[in-house]
Amino acid sequence: MAVFLLRRLLLAIPMVLGVATLVFLVLEVAPGDATARYAAPGVAPEALEQMRRNMGLDRPAGERYLRWMGAMLRGDFGVSLSRNEPVREVLAQTLPNTLLLSATALILAFGGGILLGTLQAVRAGGVVDRGISITTLLFYSMPSFWLALMLILVFSVQARNVWDWPFWFPASGMVSLDHGFLGSREQILDRIRHLTLPSVSLALVLAAGIARYMRASLLEVLSLDWVRTARAKGIPEWRVVVEHAMRNALGPVATLFGLYLPVLFSGTVVIETVFAWPGMGKLMVDSIFQRDTPVVLAAAFLFALLVIVGNLVADLLHALLDPRIRPAARAR
Amino acid sequence: MTETPYRKPGCRAAGPGRTCRMAMLLLFPVLLLGGCGDGGDPAVRALQGLPEFCREVLPRVQAHQATLTQPSGERFGGTAVVGAVGEMADGINAFSLADYTSAQHQTFLNLMTLVRLDESLGFQPYLARSWEFSPDGSEVTFHLRDDVRWHDGEPTTAHDVAFTFLRATDPGTAFPNAAFWSRYREGDEGVEVLDDHTIRFRFQPHAEVLDTWRAMPIMPRHLLEDVAPADLRSHPFGIRCPVGNGPFVFQERRPGQSWSFVRNPEFPEALGGPPYLDRYIFRVIPEQSTLLAELLTGGVDLYVAPTPDQALRIQEEEGLRLLDFDFRSYVFVAWNSRRPQLADPRVRRALTMGINRQEILDGLLMGFGTVADAGVPPFHWAHDPEAGGRVAYDPEGAAALLDEAGWRLEDGGSVRTDAQGNRLEISVKYNTGNQQRQDVAEVMQAQLSRIGVAIRPEVLEWATLVEQINDPVRRDFDGVVLGWVTEFRVDDRDLFHSSGVDQPFHWSGIQDPELDLLLDSLQVVMDREAARPLWQRYQERAVELQPLTYFFYPRRLAGVNERVEGVRMDVRGEWVTVAEWWIPEAARGSPGEG
Repeated sequence: MAVFLLRRLLLAIPMVLGVATLVFLVLEVAPGDATARYAAPGVAPEALEQMRRNMGLDRPAGERYLRWMGAMLRGDFGVSLSRNEPVREVLAQTLPNTLLLSATALILAFGGGILLGTLQAVRAGGVVDRGISITTLLFYSMPSFWLALMLILVFSVQARNVWDWPFWFPASGMVSLDHGFLGSREQILDRIRHLTLPSVSLALVLAAGIARYMRASLLEVLSLDWVRTARAKGIPEWRVVVEHAMRNALGPVATLFGLYLPVLFSGTVVIETVFAWPGMGKLMVDSIFQRDTPVVLAAAFLFALLVIVGNLVADLLHALLDPRIRPAARAR
Repeated sequence: MTETPYRKPGCRAAGPGRTCRMAMLLLFPVLLLGGCGDGGDPAVRALQGLPEFCREVLPRVQAHQATLTQPSGERFGGTAVVGAVGEMADGINAFSLADYTSAQHQTFLNLMTLVRLDESLGFQPYLARSWEFSPDGSEVTFHLRDDVRWHDGEPTTAHDVAFTFLRATDPGTAFPNAAFWSRYREGDEGVEVLDDHTIRFRFQPHAEVLDTWRAMPIMPRHLLEDVAPADLRSHPFGIRCPVGNGPFVFQERRPGQSWSFVRNPEFPEALGGPPYLDRYIFRVIPEQSTLLAELLTGGVDLYVAPTPDQALRIQEEEGLRLLDFDFRSYVFVAWNSRRPQLADPRVRRALTMGINRQEILDGLLMGFGTVADAGVPPFHWAHDPEAGGRVAYDPEGAAALLDEAGWRLEDGGSVRTDAQGNRLEISVKYNTGNQQRQDVAEVMQAQLSRIGVAIRPEVLEWATLVEQINDPVRRDFDGVVLGWVTEFRVDDRDLFHSSGVDQPFHWSGIQDPELDLLLDSLQVVMDREAARPLWQRYQERAVELQPLTYFFYPRRLAGVNERVEGVRMDVRGEWVTVAEWWIPEAARGSPGEG
């Protein structure tokens, strides 16, 4: 197992570096640079030229690439060209927010998806199955942007202004403005209130997909001979499903974990914008438009790393769930 | 015998491990929730993880502020929250001045300028209590107030003003607006500190000298003197720990989320005294629908620049009111006269006459704006509303002009051709992410097709578009939809003066001796009555040559929660009266909860 892990981690190094190099090349080919936002009538071209020199953009691409790579290997990501602070700071401000949002969404998506899929498989063909099928299909085909706005409309605007619900969810931000003055329990509740709508809008779409996979996978397992044997032995149905069948059905769903990570990160771009969530997704897009190369490179680097680690976790989960995979890995 | 043998070992081996893993996964968000260090005293929290400069400077500000007595009175108290789509990218760094929102916060909240504008756009004393020009107009002497302190307690003096001038004009700083001082004598020649509160500048006489000192906030010399010019733009002062001398003191910035400011209790009474609000918060909410939801649910008190259709909704909503006021922006299409089909001014005039701009204005801006005819917006003293009479919507007239210019419509044809058989096809570029410009391009396409002109809208990402239109060698466009915010001092030399034809912003490429003469005179004729006929003629000439089709001057919009009183806005900006905003005690509540 250790050898398997080590091999995978070593393989990750060239992949991450490759991604960063590719991103650098793409940004290099794209027209314009970070001074574009200052360009306006009344602004002297000499001032922009000097700005380029101050930013180091006057150096040849090869030199900038080598400098960046060298600095990055020493843990120095440089200074953001659009935000006037070190990239390390910019990432430290945004990465935890994105991780919090996506981890919550992942848990909600997999928890909800597995539960729904199981319910459907157990009641296959019935009203519950069809009802959930239609609902999940609906969510699966919904643009997350629109879904997010609808959630705001219902659970924030209508809930507070029209229906006068005792609880409603804030439409944006991570914490209330008076967060600093709350007690520690209220602070956690405040955070959860703010986290609810964004994580639910991310999770709903994913959960709908997961439920469909889970249903198919569990139905297949439930039709196998050993399930019939288990039932014949008189084991209660819920134990047959939960202890025996689900465990075997979860294998294919676990691989989804790796597949959904990149989907999740691209989803955060939209969700972070709608809910004013100060995370990496929005940072990345803004930085691309502003040609803020140091930030884009560092963010791409981190995203690549996260996706690779996520895939690794998915493989490990799969191995844990399916004993047939483990000996093969051990044999090497 | 209880269970099937093949399952059991797997379960035992995986059981505890899985439980632990699941627990960790579940706990992970909880750990993040609790462990982000966002709690506690804001003053202490604000210092965490700050650069050394800020860790030195901010405690000094806090210490000085703690010695001051807060004013008392019925109107003092409460927190107002402003929400906008864009981050204050340049923060409170006047040496990096670029975006509108930052500039507004610099001039009206945290920093001070030498002079400010009154409602009729006349210059009023601010940091300077008076000034006088030398008889030949080549010198101005400012007498500064002696009761203004930086928020850390240091007095604001003429040395700060000199420092600001010297750094802003130092080429190393790369200050985008350095052209403000292009007529000043360079470096120490241009400035003389007569005493701590008197300063003199020397320059070639020019118009609107004071406007520069209305636009440029003064920066603190004692904090930034040792910073190399090239490092000023990215110095932590700007976004991590600004120290100003204006009515509001910087308190905290949450990156990508909010900026907070508190009252400066020692702001001079003669300038309006300390602001009424205890606290002012600026929130960044990038999506406009979300911003509207926040305004409706009390998460923000003031929504800067809602879309026109949102404005109609705000008007209807109880407890909210809509402000709409003059602004300094306009939307236009620049025509590249280097292209053969656009070289003839008659063709460019016909294009403008063939577009029903009022209809576009009513449809896209819900009427919040006025049709534009030349780039002198309605706020400007020399604005001539009659300039428009000469390019009114007139499709028949446009068709006749095109015929006259040699572009004729064959029987049964849909696109005009010239004698050589070239078709009158014009591509119009615009940038992604701006619905208004896309709509303008598409409506133009529909309307001009009726007079036999084929418009081809083309969308490009902003940085790409800028490179294609600004590169003097490429100029890879026929027409381009753009819009911008002008300065109070309108100066179109970069757009139209023939000396700048190889400069980035000379999109039209027109060269006209009369226009050159007018543009030059407008910048040096200091007397407004003498300048008025020149402005008049300038607008007429712009209409005759049509280097651009001016579309409209949009009005600026803002949605305001009625609990905040004293909010007045005009062309000077949203924040011009922020020190006078107040919230009746009954409506104060906890911040952000409306």
